[in-house]
Amino acid sequence: MAAERLARILALLAADDRPSGRRLCEVAAEATAMSGAGIALLTAGGAQASLGATDSVSSLIEDLQYTLGEGPCIDAQRLGTVIAEPNLAATSRWTAFSERALAGGAEAVFGFPIRLGAVALGALDLYRDQPGPLTDDQHADALVMADVAARFILSAQADAPPGDLDIDIATDTHLWGVVHQAAGMVSVQLDIPVADALVRIRAHAFGADRRITEIARDIVERRLSLDDDS
Amino acid sequence: MPDQAILVRTFVDLADNLVDDFDVVDLLSLLADRSVAALDVAAAGVMLAAPSGALQVVASSSDAMRTLELFELQADEGPCVDAYRSGEPVVNIDLAAAAARWPSFAPRAVRGGFASVHSLPMRHRKRTLGAVNLLRSEATPLADDDVHAAQALADIATIAIVQHQLAIDARILNDQLAAALNSRVVIEQAKGKIAQSAHLDMDQAFQSLRAHARNHNLRLAELAGRIADGTIDPRSIASPRPAGGASRPS
Repeated sequence: MAAERLARILALLAADDRPSGRRLCEVAAEATAMSGAGIALLTAGGAQASLGATDSVSSLIEDLQYTLGEGPCIDAQRLGTVIAEPNLAATSRWTAFSERALAGGAEAVFGFPIRLGAVALGALDLYRDQPGPLTDDQHADALVMADVAARFILSAQADAPPGDLDIDIATDTHLWGVVHQAAGMVSVQLDIPVADALVRIRAHAFGADRRITEIARDIVERRLSLDDDS
Repeated sequence: MPDQAILVRTFVDLADNLVDDFDVVDLLSLLADRSVAALDVAAAGVMLAAPSGALQVVASSSDAMRTLELFELQADEGPCVDAYRSGEPVVNIDLAAAAARWPSFAPRAVRGGFASVHSLPMRHRKRTLGAVNLLRSEATPLADDDVHAAQALADIATIAIVQHQLAIDARILNDQLAAALNSRVVIEQAKGKIAQSAHLDMDQAFQSLRAHARNHNLRLAELAGRIADGTIDPRSIASPRPAGGASRPS
């Protein structure tokens, strides 16, 4: 059975010799019949990146997890296990994340660890615009898909120049670069460590209920200063 | 006949090695010891090829076995050497009649109390990783069931080793991926610090960062990391120069 699932997923990917991160997400959503999918890379050092997302809702889910530090991918990676939240409207988990993801159009979210043996790379998130659990088949397909994603990511990175990202991964990956630029600026403005500046920016985005990239862009373009933040 | 209960437990233990903390020497010592317990053999040993191709003794069920295997390697002749080089099993060799095949090894093994020998290759696809040596005190042939069980044990150990190598590669690649992602993050942070300190835009800040790394022979990510963590003052970096910089004054 596992071999059949794998064959089906590889057939979906077969058109691309080197599928993009977004294509991996599209195939994940298609194979599991979900509304959308995203892939988060989460390193042990705390760096977080999005390898791709199928649509604006998935992209919002990635963004919220980055801003709030909570959500299905974060838990899947941290706990090393599949996370299922079939009814976001009824859950008490991830209060901040759930409220905003619901408002964005996601009713159910699921996180699958992307790992190879003990090596954890990140997580695949799936969402649906209707509440309800995954069927056993969808669950099994998502597990195989997460495994396929792990192998694609690592085999791509195997071709990377020393010390850098593989060019395909670098092209696909959204690193919230502007947020880190803003953190560097705030760190100088307030004379605090960069990590603390990042926390301030996240808190500001949360408090203002705005996307973190918008806040960061305002800081970088010097339209917003966090000096007068409480 | 192989002892089925020990065999089954050994299969499970070997398979466990695929998921749990893995140590090649532990795994192959388990293989050697359980071969003696489950099969009709007096001693067992395992040799693995180093990356150079040279065989090395990795596990033995007894000291006498270890000494004999070391001797086999030194003499560069014997059942393990043949099984490894040919990739084919060497079974039911009567040591008393093997002096022509192995002039040094055969008499030495007989003096050690062994009468017959078998060696099974550890093969994965077209590659042979090593071989398992089984020695008996009797010259009578080993039963087919024992030979099959021994090969099955060797095969599982082989899969465990191959999977482990994949896992090592995965860890290295993932570490590289994480380091590269972290580099890109700290470069953005350093750009932000320089931009703020010297009132530059991000592009100018990046040019300054690059120029400073080049002029001081530092890796970009290393310099960026030191700026981001505060060990280098961003104000010492900013010396905006036009993009391109081909006509750098010297």
